[in-house]
Amino acid sequence: MKLQLGYIDIRDIKFDKNPRIENGVLYVDPDALIASVLQDELIKNAHLEIAKPGESVRITPVKDVIEPRVKVEGRGGVFPGMVAKVDTVGSGKTYVLRGMAVVTCGKICGFQEGIIDMSGPGADYTPFSKLNNLCLVIEPQEGVKQHEYEHACRMAGLNMAAAIAELARELTPDETKDFETLTVKEGMEKYPDLPRVAYVQMLQSQGLLHDTYVYGVDAKRTLPTLISPTETMDGAIVSGNCVSACDKNTTYHHENNPVVADLFEQHGKTLNFVGMIITNENVYLADKQRSSDHTAELAEYLSLDGAVISQEGFGNPDTDLIMNCVKIEDKGIKTVIITDEYAGQDGKSQSLADADPKANACVTGGNANMVIRLPKMDKVIGTLDYVNVIAGAHEGSLQPDGSIEAELQVITGATNELGFNKLSAR
Amino acid sequence: MHKWIITNNPLVRDKLNESIDVDYRPCSYLELLQAARDEIHEGAVLLTHPLSGSVKPGETPYKSIMLAGGKRSFSGTGAGSSKALKTDFASVELIESAVETCQKFLQHARWPEPEKLSEQVHRDFQVVDYTLIISAFPSAGISRD
Amino acid sequence: MTKFRVVHYINQFFGQIGGEEKADVPPEKRQGPVGPGLALSAAFKDEAEIVATIICGDSYFNENMDSATETIIKMVKEEKPDLFIAGPAFNAGRYGVAAGAIASAVKEQLNIPSFTGMYEENPGADMYKQNVYIIQTGNSAAKMRKAIPPMAALALKLLKGEPIGSAAQEGYIPTGVRKNLFEEKRGSARAVDMLLKKLAGEPFETEYPMPTFDRVAPQPAVKDLAHANIALVTSGGIVPKGNPDHIESSSASHYGEYSIAEFDDLTAADHETAHGGYDPVYANEDPDRVLPVDVLRDMEKEGIIGKLNEFFYTTVGNGTAVANAKKFAEEIAQKLKMQNVDAVILTST
Repeated sequence: MKLQLGYIDIRDIKFDKNPRIENGVLYVDPDALIASVLQDELIKNAHLEIAKPGESVRITPVKDVIEPRVKVEGRGGVFPGMVAKVDTVGSGKTYVLRGMAVVTCGKICGFQEGIIDMSGPGADYTPFSKLNNLCLVIEPQEGVKQHEYEHACRMAGLNMAAAIAELARELTPDETKDFETLTVKEGMEKYPDLPRVAYVQMLQSQGLLHDTYVYGVDAKRTLPTLISPTETMDGAIVSGNCVSACDKNTTYHHENNPVVADLFEQHGKTLNFVGMIITNENVYLADKQRSSDHTAELAEYLSLDGAVISQEGFGNPDTDLIMNCVKIEDKGIKTVIITDEYAGQDGKSQSLADADPKANACVTGGNANMVIRLPKMDKVIGTLDYVNVIAGAHEGSLQPDGSIEAELQVITGATNELGFNKLSAR
Repeated sequence: MHKWIITNNPLVRDKLNESIDVDYRPCSYLELLQAARDEIHEGAVLLTHPLSGSVKPGETPYKSIMLAGGKRSFSGTGAGSSKALKTDFASVELIESAVETCQKFLQHARWPEPEKLSEQVHRDFQVVDYTLIISAFPSAGISRD
Repeated sequence: MTKFRVVHYINQFFGQIGGEEKADVPPEKRQGPVGPGLALSAAFKDEAEIVATIICGDSYFNENMDSATETIIKMVKEEKPDLFIAGPAFNAGRYGVAAGAIASAVKEQLNIPSFTGMYEENPGADMYKQNVYIIQTGNSAAKMRKAIPPMAALALKLLKGEPIGSAAQEGYIPTGVRKNLFEEKRGSARAVDMLLKKLAGEPFETEYPMPTFDRVAPQPAVKDLAHANIALVTSGGIVPKGNPDHIESSSASHYGEYSIAEFDDLTAADHETAHGGYDPVYANEDPDRVLPVDVLRDMEKEGIIGKLNEFFYTTVGNGTAVANAKKFAEEIAQKLKMQNVDAVILTST
């Protein structure tokens, strides 16, 4: 399967009655975009705001971050099963609006975290501070059930991203990149001497606010399966995960999966990137058993030499991570796992809820309990309701100068377990 | 085997007691884990992960865990009560490590005491815990009417 | 330029007072560097000087930890130092515990930078590595020359307030305290690099070493308890009154083997504990509380067990090096086998 990504660099976003992309500037018509969001009757109010790198702006609570992409050649459409109809994606040509994102903010529940600071120390910990963000702030009707509202927010963000990406359809990309996954047989013949490596991606699938969708299907209702890594680039995997800001994978993370990118980088040079296995992180223990057994079986079936395993979340998923790692290692396949840590504010506690000596190669996204001081920002996009909740947690956490003291885990994407960031811990 | 839920979440008690046997204990998150541990030491088997959900101990006050067997299965019906109780060590390990992890989080709790949380926040925490436990229902073969 | 002021702590041996026979000397202070302090001073060049050296016997410190700490803290405070260094203690168990304890106490109570150095298997390393930096040294004083440069380097960094690098960079024993840092490459690229090394059989460094447990698979259950020979083994320090073999109260260097053929019940008149790591009152009052001879005699009479083995084995688990504990266990296991013991009850404190 072969996919070409064409990158269209977005260096600024402006509101304009005439939506277009011109000289790296995205012009959007807020009235038209909001009108289509409000067609969903569960949404009472919505408005758009723009946040740029370096500004004194805090976006919170962040639900999802989405990169607009449009399919210009080949089968299917971006976000299959969600926005486009179900059809296998991952081949042909897709344009990417690089350097920007649609950020959905809205209070799904009263305790929701998720801060993106566009400047200051907090900005160093989130990749989204480097993007031009078009923020969609949503407010639900009274009495709407959380799961209905989560769905409404999710769809509003995806639809808006897809609509904006349409503006790029006729443009010429600033840069293009080709990605190709070979069939098992082709790969064997082409790279007979390179180690066969796959990527095992664990998808959050524990329930409401903890879900991930694959071609529109709730991941907890799936068995582990093989997909082509290029499918993720067309939005085959979409986030429905709203809690644990620091280590949830947003849709942006899925579209730009760094493990996929870095394995492609080495593909044909030092390794043969055979493909990708996706599996879930259900709460039911028998499901864990079945999924990890099946994942290891698929790894063996692909005649792998090695695998990178990434995680999403903490606690329950730690058990899946260790089960996957141990069972794959037991097949004689070498693994590296990617996780993050909850080692306490002092860094002295046990980092994971589960462990095994076979997990001897581990990359960490850092200790999410580390305390960070976030200075006051001139402007808040969204609502500080949540921040006020944590500010009340400790005397002194809300400083007289308006800054807040918080753990890294409130920052969107700070300790990402796909290895999106440079943050680590020792 | 008899499947049941141990919970400190009133929403789970109210919404699920028609679908499954619910043992409601109005207690803290940690106490609920400890209560589950006691049941496990007396023969119950864990069916769901005790640290389900990304809302950490010390943040949400609510926890529901699905168990099978144990002494609760013998009360009432009397069936099988003569059978010796056997402890499931995999369950013991999982629950003990969950208790330990919970205690670690409570040391550094950064959320207000449950009694200081607003009613809406309580309600939201209850809903999330409720959805986490019902996500296990299809796998457990329990229908919800 | 004024030099930074450093106070140095060493034991009676390195203080040139004497060996084990002088291990009970109380703390004393001397002006300037003594013993290893001379080498440290030289390594500081002109940037820092050891203004005073505190010497204390290892046994004295370990047996009087609270009062010794208090005295030493007072001595340190008088010198108004910028830094405190203890050791290096190499593999000397009680010296390592003392060095770790006093370095931690100085850091906490006087709020000045403080560190020590020792061999990684020294029990003091595990006990104090979370509290203070412990420079990793060789296992004996013969490695002194190699221990000095990293200690001097860390000292100068701490004195100047420079950032301290990772355990591997600075040469200290990993603290077990997790610290966030930014890497050159993002996590996914690090994972791919690590996997390539692992696939090629090259050495790689995990970013999070899994906690290790030295797990021993349990033996199958004893089938016929009524005919089994059961032995007692303890790390709780129960010994015949007077501790005839002088098992140390901490960091034990040996174990004892004693007959209980004559005893149906241990009492304060005939047994006691040698352990220095817990309040001994209840163990001394009734040693059966740690070594349950009385109930096993009852079971023997009732026919629940075949018999209680004639000998029991005992040592003190307090700060005893893992390597020593393993060595004791291997010898004890051999002896138990020769006595046809079927099962062992291990008691601790």
